[in-house]
Amino acid sequence: MSSSADAPVAVRLRDVHKRFGAVHALRGADLSLGFGEVHAVLGENGAGKTTLLRILAGLIPPDRGEVIVGGRVARFRTPRDAWSAGIGLVHQHFTLVARFTVLENLALGVRWGGGGFALPLRDVRRRVERLAEETGLAVPPDAQVGTLGVGERQRVEILKVLLREPRVLALDEPTAVLAPGEVDMLLRLLRTQAAEGRCVVLVAHKLDEVLSVADRVTVLRGGRTVLEAARSEVSADLLATAMVGEAGALVLGESAATTAVRRPAPAPGEPVARLEGVTLSGPRGERALKDVALEVRRGEIVGIAGVEGNGQRELAKVLSRRAQPLGGRATVPPDPGFIPQDRAREGLVPDFDVAENLALALHRRGEWRRGPLLLWQNVRATARDLIARYRIAAPSTRSLARALSGGNQQRVVVARELESGRDLLVAENPTRGLDVAATAFVHEELLRLRARGDTGIALLSTDLDEVLALADRILVMVRGRLVEVPEDARTRLGVGALMLSAGESQESSSSV
Amino acid sequence: MSEIIAAFLEASVRLGAPLALAALGESITERSGVINIGLEGSIIAGALASALGALAWGAGWGVGAGAVAGLVAAAVFALFALGLRCDQIITGTAVTMGGLGFTAAAYESRFGATGTALSLPTLGPVTIPLLSDLPLVGRAFFAQAPTVYLAYLLAPALWLYLNRTGWGLELRATGEEPAAAEAAGVRVVRTRVLATLFGGALAGVAGAHLALAHAGTFGEGMSAGRGFIAIAVVVLGRWNPLGVLAAALLFGAATALQFFLQTLGLDLPYQLFLALPYLLTLLALAGWVGRARAPAALGKPWPEPT
Repeated sequence: MSSSADAPVAVRLRDVHKRFGAVHALRGADLSLGFGEVHAVLGENGAGKTTLLRILAGLIPPDRGEVIVGGRVARFRTPRDAWSAGIGLVHQHFTLVARFTVLENLALGVRWGGGGFALPLRDVRRRVERLAEETGLAVPPDAQVGTLGVGERQRVEILKVLLREPRVLALDEPTAVLAPGEVDMLLRLLRTQAAEGRCVVLVAHKLDEVLSVADRVTVLRGGRTVLEAARSEVSADLLATAMVGEAGALVLGESAATTAVRRPAPAPGEPVARLEGVTLSGPRGERALKDVALEVRRGEIVGIAGVEGNGQRELAKVLSRRAQPLGGRATVPPDPGFIPQDRAREGLVPDFDVAENLALALHRRGEWRRGPLLLWQNVRATARDLIARYRIAAPSTRSLARALSGGNQQRVVVARELESGRDLLVAENPTRGLDVAATAFVHEELLRLRARGDTGIALLSTDLDEVLALADRILVMVRGRLVEVPEDARTRLGVGALMLSAGESQESSSSV
Repeated sequence: MSEIIAAFLEASVRLGAPLALAALGESITERSGVINIGLEGSIIAGALASALGALAWGAGWGVGAGAVAGLVAAAVFALFALGLRCDQIITGTAVTMGGLGFTAAAYESRFGATGTALSLPTLGPVTIPLLSDLPLVGRAFFAQAPTVYLAYLLAPALWLYLNRTGWGLELRATGEEPAAAEAAGVRVVRTRVLATLFGGALAGVAGAHLALAHAGTFGEGMSAGRGFIAIAVVVLGRWNPLGVLAAALLFGAATALQFFLQTLGLDLPYQLFLALPYLLTLLALAGWVGRARAPAALGKPWPEPT
């Protein structure tokens, strides 16, 4: 895999610029991809990785710069043009029709890629079966996509692209939603694809995953390409520094140091939330929570790990009082704090400004009100204070939430939920999709809250490393049940095995 | 000349007031994410109930009866559209059609198809001292039925509610991003139901104004599409109560202008003038509003279907 430096160039993007309103997403990015290599594009949130990939796939045109395929300048007006040039993109957000079956979705892709007049379901089924065997991407072909978990949907998404036999396979953050075992499988698949002569380009911000699989690496920072090198020539430190810049590296070092300090042994106080025998139905009527028992005490972080779709969403709903259990008893304090996983939709109202978003959850505070009227100048003063304390990169309290980067949106949510001094905080995948610095920030704040000892924290996360690093006690959610992890099994492997045990057996029974 | 202008302004306000009342209510409903095109049903129900109420207890109570009837019609809409999550457009259409049919049937069974117009105790004008002495606009704006003053007062009050109170913030969040509102502790469905009932009650008052302050009688289908125009008024007013009041008066003026043009004796078919307010509606929607943005979750069911 080291021969890739002189691999034939498949695609080049040269001096690409792209602006969205006031946001300068790309300002001179270069990317050179060779056949037979896995090429990783690294960068912090907002560095322009996704934009670059979308330009490569013909979803958006660049303002300036060229896309060169096979030595000729290509002008992609639609994704279809990119397809004709052999470029296929696996999207970060799923692009599947929820009401269609897996097979129908896959057939849609084939048809759209230039299939014939009739819907070639039988043909697609054959090809899917063969492809699934070759790649290990097992999917249940006749299941409705809406009923699948995120990991399975991701597999469908990848299969959809592979079915069209692309020469350039582009993937945008494909590991974000996968369990550790699934990640390893995906990375192996990418290697095989490259070995078969394809060009694989992968956007990611988890360094270790990228380092294990990539032949070449391009680092973007602030919309520019700041580094391009063979994997063998660069160290992890060098890449991290390139991603965040010199100034950022300082902050990172600092926060890594704080996390590394082993926390004092927990001295948990009285229970603030208790679930006994709780059951709840999921969105499709299935039993999502089965006989769940859980206790959260002041001053502790209870970590709940598990593969996506095993009932964590429903558990978070019960804990944050957004759903009443069907059976059992849930004793939860009246106004729990809640950091949702989908900050763009659940965390913030995109068209509200920062102050309005803060006020939405905090407006019942006495000092913010005179009679029925909100004292906006007091709200804005508090907002300014929080912007400074939580280092939210917002020009003013009047900046709209939608204009902030993902990391800064999450800082707003965290600031809001931590400021209100509540008995219970429910954090659901609080760092999903965040870059290194923002993730470190959230982790620090959770630990700081724990140290104060007034709040019980329930951390539901599919990121096993996060749970292992932060939680005082760990439970694993498997098919709607909670299993406590014994102290001696607190390792990646130990918990990972528990996570996959029941889930896998269910999936394989319904797969191709 | 100034007399003609004064009379024109007076008619503009009198004709604009029911639109203002209904549209102010609907603007609150829509800011919560619900589009209630059953508004017409609430208006006609309010008109009939106010007529019955006025006959039984006098004009003042008639207005109250109209509000209650409008609220009941909106409650039917809320039950199906918000409780059972039926499609809001279809449910609203059903409430409008049902309201028109039901009031016609109830009116006939109560008063028979006599052909003579029913004569109701009316809601007479109340003259505001000083303000009504203003030249030209004084009597037009300040010698009107009490329901007109309700619209004047509500517009700034609702603006304050939306923009300066925590409850208004919660309501707006519900209309923009119900998932975020819920996560922040807002009860989304309850907020939407209350906003819908409020809109229905105001539409009922608009109906009462039509029957008691404007016509002095009840007639089948006397709402005459005002529920739909009120929805256009909300858009033209950009979902802002102050803008909605101004837009409603503009539509009132267009309706008044139509009468004046007819009296000029121009050699044009009168239907052309009748079409004026509706033409204005189309122009308003296409041009004026331009890029004004509706609440992001407008018309979308909650909880989201899967």
